[in-house]
Amino acid sequence: MASHGVARVSGTNPAIRSEELRQKELEQIAAYNNLVDLVNFKVADRQYTVEVLDLTTRLLNENPEYYTIWNHRRRILLDLLLIPSSDDRPSTTLYRRGEELIHDDLQLTFALLRKFPKCYWIWNHRIWILQKGELSFNSASARKLWLGELQLVGKMLHLDSRNFHAWTYRRFVVAQLERMQASVTDTSLESVHSTQSLTESEFAYTTKMIKTNLSNFSAWHNRSKLIPMLLDERSADSAARRELLGDELALICTAINTDPFDQSIWFYHQFLMSTLSPKCASQNMIVRDLSNQDRQRYYAHEMEYIQDILEDETECKWIYEALLHCASCYLEIEGSTQAFTVLDMRGWLRELKRLDPLRRGRWDDLGRSLDIS
Amino acid sequence: MSLVSGPGRGGMTAIPAELQLFVDKHVRYIQSLDTRKDELEYWLTEHLRLNGLYWGLTALHLLGHPDALPRQEIIGFVLSCLHGNGGFGAAPGHDAHILYTVSGVQILATLNAFDELEERVKDGRKKIGQYIADLQDPETGTFAGDEWGERDTRFLYGALNALSLMNLLHLVNVDKAVEYVQSCANFDGAYGTRPGAESHAGQVFTCVGALTIAGRLDLVDQDKLGAWLSERQLKNGGLNGRPEKKEDVCYSWWVMSSLAMLNKLHWIDGKKLTSFILQCQDPEGGGLADRPGDMVDVFHTVFGLAGLSLLKYPGLAEVDPV
Ligand SMILES: [Zn+2]
Repeated sequence: MASHGVARVSGTNPAIRSEELRQKELEQIAAYNNLVDLVNFKVADRQYTVEVLDLTTRLLNENPEYYTIWNHRRRILLDLLLIPSSDDRPSTTLYRRGEELIHDDLQLTFALLRKFPKCYWIWNHRIWILQKGELSFNSASARKLWLGELQLVGKMLHLDSRNFHAWTYRRFVVAQLERMQASVTDTSLESVHSTQSLTESEFAYTTKMIKTNLSNFSAWHNRSKLIPMLLDERSADSAARRELLGDELALICTAINTDPFDQSIWFYHQFLMSTLSPKCASQNMIVRDLSNQDRQRYYAHEMEYIQDILEDETECKWIYEALLHCASCYLEIEGSTQAFTVLDMRGWLRELKRLDPLRRGRWDDLGRSLDIS
Repeated sequence: MSLVSGPGRGGMTAIPAELQLFVDKHVRYIQSLDTRKDELEYWLTEHLRLNGLYWGLTALHLLGHPDALPRQEIIGFVLSCLHGNGGFGAAPGHDAHILYTVSGVQILATLNAFDELEERVKDGRKKIGQYIADLQDPETGTFAGDEWGERDTRFLYGALNALSLMNLLHLVNVDKAVEYVQSCANFDGAYGTRPGAESHAGQVFTCVGALTIAGRLDLVDQDKLGAWLSERQLKNGGLNGRPEKKEDVCYSWWVMSSLAMLNKLHWIDGKKLTSFILQCQDPEGGGLADRPGDMVDVFHTVFGLAGLSLLKYPGLAEVDPV
């Protein structure tokens, strides 16, 4: 009902299906509806058995969006998982051990996610079954379970590096692993700062993803969220913080030089600039003891190399936008400057209007707010 | 999204062929949706029936044909999806969930049918309101989708929207909900599905919508968010949902309604967007698709039309951006 990217072919118009195809579709509908009725009837009848569980598997394979069937499946599983796991009867079509049930659902959701990577219900069910699994496993196996998830989500992001379900899931899995490690080490009374967090490795992961594809804004975004945690966990002092800021600015400078037309890169640049502002909340600042002179130095430096790029790329609107943005930040700190003139700013605004007529209304408003129109 | 009461804006004036909206075709397409029971797709999408009905009904109102679907039958169907606990399922026999509960309430509001609800279900409004209120997490202020506990800013917006349509906002802690929305804000001024999540135009709509209902638009970094939203427009006039993604008609609604709430509709090129949306029509069978030449569906049909309404396309009824 909400299809994306499916080409319209006039031959698929149901009105002009051949009679044979029509009959076939009617048979498919009857079979599907029979299965739906059967599952609904048996669940309403509280037949929470392995047999009915397998029926839901069949149905979900045909239609993973049918959320009520996922709910039914959980109702059945909740019942089946109550059977003590010490029970060592052999597995049959009538009986399955708790671990097997959990394993089966991990398999099912994995196979379905590969086909339907944007289906909310599948991701939800996977989290649910993992949480059940964690309860029935010892802590080492439970940790292994979540570590496996980190691998799985790595695969999903390899297939589609922008899938926001997968990124959300990744942050969730990382939080689970950190939680488990924290509870393991809690008892040992050690300071566990360096071992329990995955922030460093997740930060490295965003670096890897960005280097593969500069326009992966999902990775840039995650990086922006990791930096404040990273600095805290490293107990970074002022020098270390300045160094990290310098590294990030250098990274984004290279990226801008590589492809100045990519908006992901400019949004990350905007992020770095926003951490310099005196208005930035202190927990989000990269460097916390910036003087206004420091700020101006940073702004001037950004403007300098961005202007250098202009020599080769006069038709890139992002350059003019960034220049105006840096200039307005600069002026917020000090009303006048030698670094650029109002005439420069008017020129940049003129270029923006020329190169980006789609957003003409915005540039008009900007000119008015900067008092340069 | 609901309709601003009062008549639509005037009739059709002379419009060039490529800017033509195929009103009759779209009306017939929507009317045909419930007659397609010999297509497997009809049955495979039953989990969207109530939303689909809301989308279709809204599209018909926008097109100026509010009576093209039978009112009594719709009310009957909607109430057949209502559970004893006050939640709606997607169709009879489907479990209750906030997504469908919101659609149910929106349909009843569109049809002015809350009196009928009370006649047929004693304390119906109160029960529905309580179902929604019970899904709020008192600690964080956010909302679960159902008893199984998934949380998402889509649910939070839906909850506030449905409660405000029923005048029952006092049942929940609005301040806590607002706090939660703010924790989903990112440096770019936009919002994600939960704290830490990447900005996404759909989530911007839900968060800005929630803040509008709560009367707290002052919390939005309006220039930054407006800038981010305006950058969703691509050269072909269409809008995308995140940086460096493809255009899609449904974002005409998510992005445009957010810009409307910020009074910044003029920050994108309305003419180009209008022509992009119109190219997504199926001129033969009616309906709109995500992109020109793709299969149409009722979801993209209503969001494309609602986008056109915000763009003041002649002849369409006016839509409320929230
Ligand atoms: Zn879409």
